[in-house]
Amino acid sequence: MIRVRRLVPLLLAAAVLAVACSGAESGGAGAPAADTTLDVRLVLEPTSLDITSVAGAAISQLLLDNVYEGLLTRDAGGAIVPLLAQDVSTSPDGLTYTFRLHDGLTFADGSPLTSADVVWSYRNVIAPESKNPNKADFAAVTGVDAPDPHTVVITLSRRDANFTYALTDRAAAVLKQGTDPATLAGTANGSGPFVIRSWQRGSSITLARNEHYWGQPANLSGVVLHYIPDTTAANNAQLTGETDVETGPDPTLLSQFQGPDFTVAEGVTSDKFVLGINNGRGPLADVRVRHAIRQAIDKDGLIRVALAGKGQRIGSGVAPTDPWFDAGLTSIDPYDPPAAKALLAETGFGSGLDLTLVVPNIYSARIGEYVASQLGQVGIRVRYEPVEFATWLDRVYTKADYDLSIVDHAEARDIGNYANPDYYWRYSDAQVQQWADQASTAASDAERDGLYRQVARKISEDAVSDWLYSPTSLVVLRAGVTGFPTRETNSRLDLAQVTASAAQ
Amino acid sequence: MVVFLVRRTALFAASLFAASVLIFLLLQLLSGDMAQVIAGVQATPAQVASLRHELGTDRPLAVQYATWVGGVLAGDFGTSALSGVSVSAELGEKLTVTAPLVAVAMLLSVLVAVPLGVLAAIAHRRRLGVVISVGSQLGIALPTLWVGLVLAIVFAVWLRWLPAQGFPTAGWEQPVRAVRSLVLPAVTLALAEGAVLLRFVRSATLGVLNQDFLRTARATGLTRTGALLRHGLRNAALPVVSILGLQVAALLVGAVVVEAVFALPGVGQMLLTDVGNRDLVKVQGEVLLLTGAVLTIGFLVDVAHRLIDPRLRVSR
Repeated sequence: MIRVRRLVPLLLAAAVLAVACSGAESGGAGAPAADTTLDVRLVLEPTSLDITSVAGAAISQLLLDNVYEGLLTRDAGGAIVPLLAQDVSTSPDGLTYTFRLHDGLTFADGSPLTSADVVWSYRNVIAPESKNPNKADFAAVTGVDAPDPHTVVITLSRRDANFTYALTDRAAAVLKQGTDPATLAGTANGSGPFVIRSWQRGSSITLARNEHYWGQPANLSGVVLHYIPDTTAANNAQLTGETDVETGPDPTLLSQFQGPDFTVAEGVTSDKFVLGINNGRGPLADVRVRHAIRQAIDKDGLIRVALAGKGQRIGSGVAPTDPWFDAGLTSIDPYDPPAAKALLAETGFGSGLDLTLVVPNIYSARIGEYVASQLGQVGIRVRYEPVEFATWLDRVYTKADYDLSIVDHAEARDIGNYANPDYYWRYSDAQVQQWADQASTAASDAERDGLYRQVARKISEDAVSDWLYSPTSLVVLRAGVTGFPTRETNSRLDLAQVTASAAQ
Repeated sequence: MVVFLVRRTALFAASLFAASVLIFLLLQLLSGDMAQVIAGVQATPAQVASLRHELGTDRPLAVQYATWVGGVLAGDFGTSALSGVSVSAELGEKLTVTAPLVAVAMLLSVLVAVPLGVLAAIAHRRRLGVVISVGSQLGIALPTLWVGLVLAIVFAVWLRWLPAQGFPTAGWEQPVRAVRSLVLPAVTLALAEGAVLLRFVRSATLGVLNQDFLRTARATGLTRTGALLRHGLRNAALPVVSILGLQVAALLVGAVVVEAVFALPGVGQMLLTDVGNRDLVKVQGEVLLLTGAVLTIGFLVDVAHRLIDPRLRVSR
């Protein structure tokens, strides 16, 4: 406490001096300090730093853009933009992509990054023995070549309408040629604006500015990412100034952050909270039962209760961040308990139906309880089973041993899952599979988006799942922090643009 | 004493072996496996299968058990396939948080519970005794989670005396901050455990107060309190020392909750995470080491008993 009080006048003096020296640029509201570190609360700690072989959004949230970079990236608005590549050209048949790399690219250890490193990294992804969890993103890639140190040529076996998006994601991260995979779990040598300074397992990861960065250096000299799963502890940390930024706050507790000391920034996410229905099982194979389930659940009510309104209905398996999002689909299967009851009576389940609802315990219990109670009101007796995520992966995702399940499908642009008959929803429809196939090889974005919209409408009309909501991404910032990303913060968190004036 | 030590050591080894089998088998009952967790939801089934082969989790259980125990006997508790860090190294690192937490909580609970428990027994059926009794019942009834939340709000958020959560990133290299961040968690833990201990001290003391030898001692002219302090406490200490041994295990369990409330990177948090990731090699090693610690304490308690009570030394 004492140290802080002494520091404040000093910092103020320094800020005044900085303003005076820099002339008329700053308006006097506290200039960004060049050597500021930021304390940020994140929810889930990565299990490893190995972006090439371990799955999990926590890894891409930490490492993509900050530590590792791909040929392309996505900007703050979600648009696909060049990163390591300065430009891309595509052959008319869509089978050859030629990338020209920026000059002077370097890794954090100071060594140059050339097309040979890109070739090495991407060939590892498509190799038969590849352990990359996102290998499927490069399924169409047949060749990666480097005609000269500044050029990368990627050849595809077929058109891939999602390929440039894949090049912004984790499969596209470029590592230094010859990196020993055994070292990747605990260290990273990427080309990004930050390096991993230290990892206190179970608690925090510290990033430091990459002093060899090839582009515009990061504003912050360092960022401490505090992994605090408990929402109350995270709120306390933000209220007491132990953290400057709190991502993923409990939306029902935001009233604590009213007033001039904090701002709450909102953004969209690719998260879709899906009520998965086992289409292959007993009464659930009957489309009328599935419609009844959808009509029995008041999604607006759920968004009010579980999220204090911080979310939106989606009506199908498409997030608002996806280009083929269609808000009109929310009108399919509107909330109508009497109609749900009538449908159940029609199918012979008028006297009721017993179903299990298996939910990973990482989500708020309010969601599962709300859904169970809504279904109970139309006569569907639900046995609510919270389980560990690993159990969910085994029982629901792998073995499809469930009736209903709630899980957050956080991946963007994943509507293709509905074309996979082995996916845990056990939904098989030839028309959907054909459209999805055509969409993935479409020659233009417009054609692709149109086909995916057809898929989205069809799966909603078939009541394959119920889509509960897409939550709003929330970030609590203390006054003085600017430029913090708000879009899809669970899977991507570009920290290079963030600035912060000294804490009050 | 030598015979006792030999027999007690044999019992210790047999318990540890039984524990290793139990730990191994119980963890196999968990559904889901590490290969699936590592591969996630976008990998192909073939990728998951090859990962399983690489991790060795597709081998027969007996082979997996033998490999594990063989390693342990050679002093190697294994390495996490996920983090690449050795189990003993990471446990050692986490103990720098949990060991002081549990030790301070233990010390606090003894310092509070022993005098108050004796006082409650002496003041039995008087107002003071009732107040202490009711207070301790309340301490047992309040959930640790709730106590932790309230303490954090009052002392961290409102008064700003202590940090609300976390442990300094540099650990004990920042000793003042490290100590400050352990105060609230230790007090939370001590409140729950101290309340339980107080009940035991009180009833053990009450038991002694009614003994014939205390009546005799008072007949020699000592006051009730004087007789208790001079002759009674040594007798009352016997059951309390046994309870203290058990309390260490209870404190480790309590640490899981307290570490979650205060976001401390300790053993409890690590165990929860490892179970969640199905990092069974790590969980096995950690639980076995903790079991060994609790069994060692049981061993020491038995030795302490014989030192406190001369009758035990004669009878065997």
